[in-house]
Amino acid sequence: MAKKQQRRKTVQELEQPVVKLDVDYSAVDKEPKKERPYGRAYLGARSAMPEEQLFEFAEYRPQDAEKIGYSNYSYWKSVWQNFVKNKPAIVMSIVFILLFIFTFVAESISPYSVATLEQDNKSIFLLPSSEHWFGTTQAGKDYWVITWYATRVSLALAALVAVGQIVAGTIIGLVWGYVRKLDRFFTELYNLIDNIPTIIYMTLIALMVGQSIGIMAVTMIAFGWLGTARNVRNLVFMYRDREYNLASRCLGTRLWRVLFRNIFPYLISVIILRLTLAIPGTIAYETTLSYLGLISEEYSLGILLKNARDSFLRFPHMLVFPAVIVSIITVTFYLVGNAFSDACDPRNHL
Amino acid sequence: MSQTNVQTVDFDARARQVLSQVPLLSARDLEVTFSLRGQKLTAIRGASLDLYEGETLAIVGESGSGKSVFTKCFVGMLDKNGSITGGSITYQGEDLAQYTEKDWLKIRGRKIAMVTQDPMTSLNPLKPIGKQILESVELHQGLKGKAAKQEVIRILNAVGIPEPERRYKQYPHEFSGGMRQRVVIAIAVACRPQILICDEPTTALDVTIQAQILDLIRRLQREQNMTIIYITHDLGVVANVADRVAVMYGGQVIEIGMANEVFFDPKHPYTWALLSALPQLGVKGEKLPAIDGTPPNLFNKIKGDAFAPRNRYALNIDYIEEPPMYEVTATHNVKAWLRDPRAPKVEQPKAIERLSELVKPAGTDPNAYHPHLDPNRETLVQVKDLQVTFGSGRKKFVAVNDVNFEIYKGETFALVGESGSGKTTIGRAIVRINPITKGEILFKGERISGKISKEMDTKVIRSLQMIFQDPMASLNERAKVDYIVSEGLINYHLYKNEHERQDKVQNALQEVGLLPEFSSRFPHEFSGGQRQRIGIARSLIMQPEFIVADEPISALDVSIRAQVLNLLNELKKQRGLTYLFIAHDLSVVRFISDRIAVIHKGQIVELAEAEELFAHPLHPYTKALLSAVPNPNPYVERVKQLIVYDPSMHDYSVDKPVWREIKPDHFVYGNQKELDGYAAELAL
Repeated sequence: MAKKQQRRKTVQELEQPVVKLDVDYSAVDKEPKKERPYGRAYLGARSAMPEEQLFEFAEYRPQDAEKIGYSNYSYWKSVWQNFVKNKPAIVMSIVFILLFIFTFVAESISPYSVATLEQDNKSIFLLPSSEHWFGTTQAGKDYWVITWYATRVSLALAALVAVGQIVAGTIIGLVWGYVRKLDRFFTELYNLIDNIPTIIYMTLIALMVGQSIGIMAVTMIAFGWLGTARNVRNLVFMYRDREYNLASRCLGTRLWRVLFRNIFPYLISVIILRLTLAIPGTIAYETTLSYLGLISEEYSLGILLKNARDSFLRFPHMLVFPAVIVSIITVTFYLVGNAFSDACDPRNHL
Repeated sequence: MSQTNVQTVDFDARARQVLSQVPLLSARDLEVTFSLRGQKLTAIRGASLDLYEGETLAIVGESGSGKSVFTKCFVGMLDKNGSITGGSITYQGEDLAQYTEKDWLKIRGRKIAMVTQDPMTSLNPLKPIGKQILESVELHQGLKGKAAKQEVIRILNAVGIPEPERRYKQYPHEFSGGMRQRVVIAIAVACRPQILICDEPTTALDVTIQAQILDLIRRLQREQNMTIIYITHDLGVVANVADRVAVMYGGQVIEIGMANEVFFDPKHPYTWALLSALPQLGVKGEKLPAIDGTPPNLFNKIKGDAFAPRNRYALNIDYIEEPPMYEVTATHNVKAWLRDPRAPKVEQPKAIERLSELVKPAGTDPNAYHPHLDPNRETLVQVKDLQVTFGSGRKKFVAVNDVNFEIYKGETFALVGESGSGKTTIGRAIVRINPITKGEILFKGERISGKISKEMDTKVIRSLQMIFQDPMASLNERAKVDYIVSEGLINYHLYKNEHERQDKVQNALQEVGLLPEFSSRFPHEFSGGQRQRIGIARSLIMQPEFIVADEPISALDVSIRAQVLNLLNELKKQRGLTYLFIAHDLSVVRFISDRIAVIHKGQIVELAEAEELFAHPLHPYTKALLSAVPNPNPYVERVKQLIVYDPSMHDYSVDKPVWREIKPDHFVYGNQKELDGYAAELAL
């Protein structure tokens, strides 16, 4: 550090005017006129150093020549700076964060609570009013607390499934791509699972094991890693034989270290994109499963949408509120995912 | 070739010719700016140039000097994010700098054509090559049907493609790299352009093919009376083609003159440095006068002379003000303050004088130690009957076959061959990245190929290390230099505590001439030469005895190569390292190595002590390779006789070839009849 400061000082000294003096080139110009066929440097040639010093040898510092262009680069800082530039993503993230906090607050500011809701035949399908902010259901229950509770359930499920799928998919994809011997095995496994529609597995498991949301979450993870794994594997193929990986092999680096230090960082942008897209994907999938009656949960966004199926023409509030929430979640994660994966790509840094 | 100062090219006559002409094309104070993610990069900072009819002007410079961008302006082929922001290009009374895309259609291809570096990407893989040339002929010459096809066949013939009628229907993948480049040239010259811009057309090709393409370009120029701008970073190629030479640095033309003036009487300190850093001019065993540092970062505003921080002869004014162009002779201009009457007088470096006698090597340090001459020489690495194959079944490909050699402790053993010859495969087999199919590799007498014990594995990893070719690909971009350099230490836990590890990293960085504080940076902040040195530090930290250097300088800029060569030599002296130096460039190899093995198509054809190989090459392939090496002396380079190697000359059907020591330490591959011939040749 001390060396650095010292160097800076010498450069400053050089720039500091010792004596203000305009170098007059007319004397030089007079001699051979043709000498300078071109060269714009002569225009406005002015300098702040006495002429005799100008033409002395400058001190040669090899250290200066070794100096490099940029400094203080930090990967995650650059990611953040790039991400912040994407205004729609930032706006939607804020909207989503508020929505997420609100799912916890909503129940407490309402006179009702999910745990104590009871069937009330007098207040079936009430439209939104000052008493029931989101109206009521066919059972006369307050739709406000139900909607927010369902949002919480769906988000928790989505987060769990998305993280599970991506972690499993990434690990399997890394091994699949890097270890040549296992390529055949995983490819066949992939084909085997992928060629049968997932909905058939889901139905079978729902019928044989049970229809709880926990079982469905595990099933969704168990069959959902395929896409990510394949994607990761193809990327690993691109990086596997790069010279820096050969260098690691020469240095005797263990497989897991190579995978996580040399290859994984290059996949971050793709993994984050897939993670963020997996969340709205899971919510959409959960809706499908609920619609097919494969999930027996009482409340989730999927169940609410399914329940609205028969009544939304007459009672649109049944559909509108959960649908708006699903849309906000989907759009947010889509925008944020794209923005973040772009920001993670070091080619966009600098 | 024994007479050195025979002036084979009359540059003075050419100079008179140039002076009597009006420039065909003239660029003045051209400025080109690119916008890259919100930042401005000034790639060309007021470059000026005159081009005269019928000449070959070579533009030399390292990457980032703007030589390519500059000439792309002459054909209106700048990338979309770049634009000409100042200056003019006058051609036929019009200013090309003001041209719109529509205007360019009149000029591009018809008047000014371009040949680019990579023949793979400039051809359409889905169209027969005949069709691709036909398009150009139809569009620009207005010929139709039979006549057009006939013209295409004539052109194919002219660029030296055998059996043009049959080749007409073939697709690019059916052509070799050199042939493909001929096709690209055919397309470019199809419409008889007045000016042909060749942008590093031979950089991706092997030396023997390169020499042939250079010959072709020169012949076409004579036949069609074209004017050629030839862009390259290789001074040997410049010596071969150029009538005039322009040297570019930091987006400016800093020296321009007739080839003999620039080569034998350069005036700019950068040209001095560039020439004296040539390995051909170096004394074996001594340091090359390397240029420190790296080319300027054009994102920053450059004050004064861009070369100043790397210039040993920099004046104070170089840091303050940009120098003007000074006239040395009527044809020779230099942009350097050293030419100012007020500047101190400086003699050009001694090394440049050696250029005029460049037929034999510049000399060898008489005190240098040559391990192979030592009677007590110790074999460090031994390769026995090595065979490496890739793929299996029908797709099986034998990359290396029946290779035998020994490397003695303390020597630099060079493996030279063209691309695809299997030289890298051998290097990788030794460090055990590529598994071998047959034979064995011994290190200090112990087998290290195939299955080995765990202790042996650790020992081998610690004593055998590799330096890679591409400094851009050989460092993990997402890890800090600190991690990259200490990767080996971490793997074997070769340190007591964190403090010791950091010390070791900083020592290693210092040893390769980098600043210790670089350890907290990421690789992308460094230039090619610096990255290569980080790679060297990474292997040095394991304290290896033997290093496989796989083309360590071929991806580097000319000005930086000497740094890395010096470093390798320095480390060899200090640590008693042994190198396997893999290269395709014989001039570098001659400078750095004790013994040279020449490999062709997976087979080592000749192996001898470096000077012996240059003095008495026996195998026809070695002769061909030696004849093709570019020589940076224009007088010698212009008259060199190319020897073409044709593998079908060997008749191995009855008489099987063997690997034979024909004279102490000189091995050659051939059958009995050939060996007899070689022996007779040696006896002469």
